[in-house]
Amino acid sequence: MVIGKGGMLAVAMAMTSLTMMAGTGIAGEFSARLDLSPEWRADNEHSPYLVPATASSAVRSLRQDLGVRMREGGFNAQGTLRLQAAEGSVPEYRGIVNQLYHDGEFGAGIGWTVGRKVMTWGVGHGFRPLDVVQREDRRGINQPPLVGVTLLALDFLDAEEATTLVWQHPGAGQRGVAADDEALAVRGYAFADETDLHAVARLSQRYGVEAGAGFSKVVGEEWGFHGAALYQRKSGQRLNHLAEQTVTVLAIADPTVTNHRRNVFKAVAGAQWTGTTGVGVLAEAWYDGEAWTREQWRQLDALTLRQRALTGVVPTVAIESNIAWSAQAFDRPNLMRENVMLRLTHEADQRWKSALEWLATPRDGGRAVTLSMTYEGNHYRLSSGVRWLGGATHSALAQSPLQRAVWLQWGLALP
Amino acid sequence: MCRYLLVALWLAASTLSAVAAEDVPALLKKADGYRLDGRAARVENTVELYRGEVLDKVRKYTVYVKPGRRSLVLMKSPLEIGQKVLMLGDQFWLLMPDSQRPLRITASQKLLGEAATGDVASMTWSDDYVGQIVGEEDLRGHRCLRLELAATRPAVTYVRIDLYLDKITALPIKADLYVNSGKRAKEAWYEAGVLEGKTRIVAMTLQDDIQTGRRTVIRYHSIEPREAPDEFFNPAALVRNALAGW
Repeated sequence: MVIGKGGMLAVAMAMTSLTMMAGTGIAGEFSARLDLSPEWRADNEHSPYLVPATASSAVRSLRQDLGVRMREGGFNAQGTLRLQAAEGSVPEYRGIVNQLYHDGEFGAGIGWTVGRKVMTWGVGHGFRPLDVVQREDRRGINQPPLVGVTLLALDFLDAEEATTLVWQHPGAGQRGVAADDEALAVRGYAFADETDLHAVARLSQRYGVEAGAGFSKVVGEEWGFHGAALYQRKSGQRLNHLAEQTVTVLAIADPTVTNHRRNVFKAVAGAQWTGTTGVGVLAEAWYDGEAWTREQWRQLDALTLRQRALTGVVPTVAIESNIAWSAQAFDRPNLMRENVMLRLTHEADQRWKSALEWLATPRDGGRAVTLSMTYEGNHYRLSSGVRWLGGATHSALAQSPLQRAVWLQWGLALP
Repeated sequence: MCRYLLVALWLAASTLSAVAAEDVPALLKKADGYRLDGRAARVENTVELYRGEVLDKVRKYTVYVKPGRRSLVLMKSPLEIGQKVLMLGDQFWLLMPDSQRPLRITASQKLLGEAATGDVASMTWSDDYVGQIVGEEDLRGHRCLRLELAATRPAVTYVRIDLYLDKITALPIKADLYVNSGKRAKEAWYEAGVLEGKTRIVAMTLQDDIQTGRRTVIRYHSIEPREAPDEFFNPAALVRNALAGW
């Protein structure tokens, strides 16, 4: 059993909160929740990218979260004490500080925030191009609560407009991952003609200037429409450099390199219908200019087949290491640039919520189907779901090392 | 003797015609006074969902109401804590605490049981409906005026309401609530009591027309005058804790 570093504050928060919970004089607002989330993953035996020895292919895993939230005046804290156990590995305890910040006021309509805070600005469901500060994987399954961004922020608010200035990760510069980079960002919001209007801009060393705008509008009782687009001056795609040539087939160190590109676009558009009988339909399409093209996948597929063909000629570990490096391409939220999604939802009896989601990548014929169901009691929530990846044989989704995932989540709100 | 009887009849007829002459907007204003008196307020309420006689679910809400059809609903139950719903006229936003991102929702999306967001967030008729008196009826010991009301805006929760008000006091007794399709969606019964020294509606029971074994009761525990600043009613402000202390 391992207790990860950097989590002692979250552990302390959890313990303090539980102590408060046990007492009687709870000030401010406090809530706690226990979540148990077992998950089963089925490997795709037909995937050329499947490497059975990698940790990500653990068949069964369990995440157990004790989450606490506290608010007193402008002080806010959210922490998670997590037990993560996976088949074949040592169970690990981690303390996570999801949010720890203070909201204050300089005067009427001027607010400030300092600390770690979740700050999502995006418009959309399957993909949110305007989430330039809090970059969130919207395609993951059974996602844990978000971890906020360390920031200094100023808000200027009146009844219909708002402007937010953010200094993200002050003094950090460019770090190993984009989410930890220092950046300056601004968001403008206005409510005009019964439409939400959003505009964002961000400046960072990694991406240069990012600028975008979006809207969302509800028409009548049943229809909603949304759209957003973002321009990004610079982008860094991670590619396997062996895929672009045919001379060298295997590498002795991670062969993925950053392919720098300029002038990248991202966009999303969607419509939602919500009926009074509990039925809802969401249709959405998006373009992610940072994702791979069909040609880039073809090159990687060809490299992987050349590597597989060396079985028996070179040590298996060399082949599997190379394939595992290539398989990192499946970690991106969007495997292809063009995506369409249809989501049907149904709510019944004030207890049951079900959803059937169909995601397709039309350029290569891939698809992912997700079926989920939630039962909500007075103090608990039970969710379950299953996702199948498939589609055309050579599509990115069909070649994913993961073929099927089943999850369950039981959440209990503590008194 | 006959002269006294004529005088009594004349007095009774005068009283009735005075009530009948009272215009519908004034009646609605008077009826609204038993829910909200038009001023900014902070309302503490609970919504209870019953199956038969068994209490199935309870949810707690704090609602900040301002003139101009502005309401902010803070959810206080353990499973929902941190969620907020903002209503500006016909427009609704929902904030989930995990995403910290306001989502646009429609007025008919339910909170719990038969309680739509609009049932909890809007507590006045006079701003949203016009109509006429179409009859009288005896209900639960009250002689009631029956008002047929039509919505003046397209996106209110109910397009038509048949409202029954006590003939003498204009106290709301019952309402039949109709949705866009023209069907009656539910029946609401109002219960009067004393809150902060005034006669108020202290509970509203919503009866489902389809699932007859179920009812939803919205109980109002306190209605205090409270003028939250305008900027708190901005959707972008939902992610802030500006209401601490209000």
